[in-house]
Amino acid sequence: MRNRVLVLLLATCLVMGVFATGKGEAPKTRLIYMTAGDVNMLALGQNVLGPGFQEKFPNVIVTTIHTGPGNAGSQMILEKLQAEQAAGKKTGDVDVAMVHEIFMNWALQKDLLLSYAKQAETWKYVTSPFAKMSLGVNIEGYGIPMFHSQTALAYNPDQVKNPPKSYAELKEWVKQNPGKFGYNGIKGGASGVSFVMGWVYAATGKYQKYAITGPFDKAEVASWEPAFKELKEFNKNVVITAGNVGTLDGLNRGEIWMGPVWVDMFFTFMNEGKLNPKTRMIVPDPGMPGQPMYFVIPKNAPNPELARKFIEYVTSPAVQARDIVIKFNWYPGIDGSFLKGAIPQETYDKIYRDVTPQDLSKKGLSFPLADYYSAVLESYEKWAQ
Amino acid sequence: MLLMYAWPFIASVARSFVDQDGRFGFGNYAKTGQLYLKDLAFTFSVTLFNTVAAAAGAILLAVYFRLRQNAVSRLMASLLKLPIFIPFVVVAQMMNSFLAPHGLLNTALAQIGLIDLERPLQLFNFAGLSFGFSWKQIPFALLIIHGGFQMIDNSYIEAARSAGASLAKVVWRILIPMNKSSILVAVVLVYSSIVGTFTLPYMLIGGKVPTTITVDIAHRVGYFRDFGVANALGVCSYVLVLVTAAYYLRTKLREAR
Repeated sequence: MRNRVLVLLLATCLVMGVFATGKGEAPKTRLIYMTAGDVNMLALGQNVLGPGFQEKFPNVIVTTIHTGPGNAGSQMILEKLQAEQAAGKKTGDVDVAMVHEIFMNWALQKDLLLSYAKQAETWKYVTSPFAKMSLGVNIEGYGIPMFHSQTALAYNPDQVKNPPKSYAELKEWVKQNPGKFGYNGIKGGASGVSFVMGWVYAATGKYQKYAITGPFDKAEVASWEPAFKELKEFNKNVVITAGNVGTLDGLNRGEIWMGPVWVDMFFTFMNEGKLNPKTRMIVPDPGMPGQPMYFVIPKNAPNPELARKFIEYVTSPAVQARDIVIKFNWYPGIDGSFLKGAIPQETYDKIYRDVTPQDLSKKGLSFPLADYYSAVLESYEKWAQ
Repeated sequence: MLLMYAWPFIASVARSFVDQDGRFGFGNYAKTGQLYLKDLAFTFSVTLFNTVAAAAGAILLAVYFRLRQNAVSRLMASLLKLPIFIPFVVVAQMMNSFLAPHGLLNTALAQIGLIDLERPLQLFNFAGLSFGFSWKQIPFALLIIHGGFQMIDNSYIEAARSAGASLAKVVWRILIPMNKSSILVAVVLVYSSIVGTFTLPYMLIGGKVPTTITVDIAHRVGYFRDFGVANALGVCSYVLVLVTAAYYLRTKLREAR
């Protein structure tokens, strides 16, 4: 009996296999899309962008390959491209890649990328400063941001009538409301890291040097000690939450009244009913970091033309509105004003109510250059713990 | 075996002496000492406390199940098998919402008037972590220790009883000594699994100070790609485990003699 079932199963597989391959159409072009990031990036490629593009270009199959979250995921893409370069492969395997900021610096140093962006039809929609500079390196022409994610302070307006408008005001607020501000330290997720970066920008006033112009100057690090000592004092009156999600959960359960969050997670939680709908956000002065992720085309891409078409598709206002903003709750990679007609006014007002486009351009800061970035985290461990 | 187990182990020890510029030396250990001494001490105390707690809890329950075999004890014994099959990440998420300041536990206690929800029990710390570990590890130790108790023939217990031994004496002088080897196995396994657990501490006290070294290792790798210090921390955890391994081996050798 069991054998018969097995045979039947095998036969079904075989028949399906024959049908799947034997349709006898013209051979399809395979577009390899390699993406870093969390599993939501895989879902986006596999379930949303790939099928959407295939509908417009029926002769193409988009294959999404996922390398993993964080800079480590981007590093895997870099290693792949570098290996192909070292092996002298004229035509590589990857058509399009989706990468973090730091990747741009690595890849441009090794001359791995195609300058495609300015030829793209959708380049005219791109106004973000992140498309010109990434962690202090000029990347103009090599990447188009697919989305932008930003951190902000979320708060419950029932308890917080006048949210602090700057880091300085926040310090005062925490003194008056001990135990009501929560963040996840630096080991529990990037919203806490972002909060600490903002702290350093606020304390030193050297955002330009640390995040835009550089260069890395070891002497700067020693000058941070008072700022971190102050953060240590600050930490005595705050709750360290269990991760990015921990901060949102704490807000929702009323354990804390305020804390730094990723804006996209904030809206996702809100849409899923996991966050008190009254919760609002504010970006304190001088600002908090956010980050885009970029589309790049490797120099040795097998189908560079098609790759550009794919990027044009995803960075078109319609797809940016429907998939990036409405479905995944990110800020668009292109200028938000081009989306106005494409998304319901209600959604538009929602995502730009607390963090306005002006806020984003003025207070949506970058993370610091890689060396400063590491130095900040290590200083935190040295002085603020 | 050499390739799959010995080589990674040796490589990890070797790389703990190579710093990020590729130089050989004790730099990684210096940094570990400078930044993570507190975390090492914390990890050690969490591990030690919870091993003792798990062993004590498991012995008590196992004794109960051994001496009282009825419907209640059988039901309890089978329920206590559940946690063994639940992965740590699920336990962590469960503890996360159970122990939170406004989580299930605190809300329930507030409902019956034991605590004030404005000042809830703070359990995302040593206490909560220990609760989570006990929840997961007592049943595991119980499985091993209870099995050992089952092997002890009733006649020993009856003989002691008829000679007038109290219950405590039966446990202390008969059951535990006769079951020493399985208790030892349970202790060693629980101890080394606690040292190496990442998810539970990460999800409960990830960003706090102090935290466990597994969280630090993930931090060094995730944010700095600094495998040197990560390996140095790893070596420290091997040393922590070595303590029990050595004890276990010594006892085994003594038994063999």
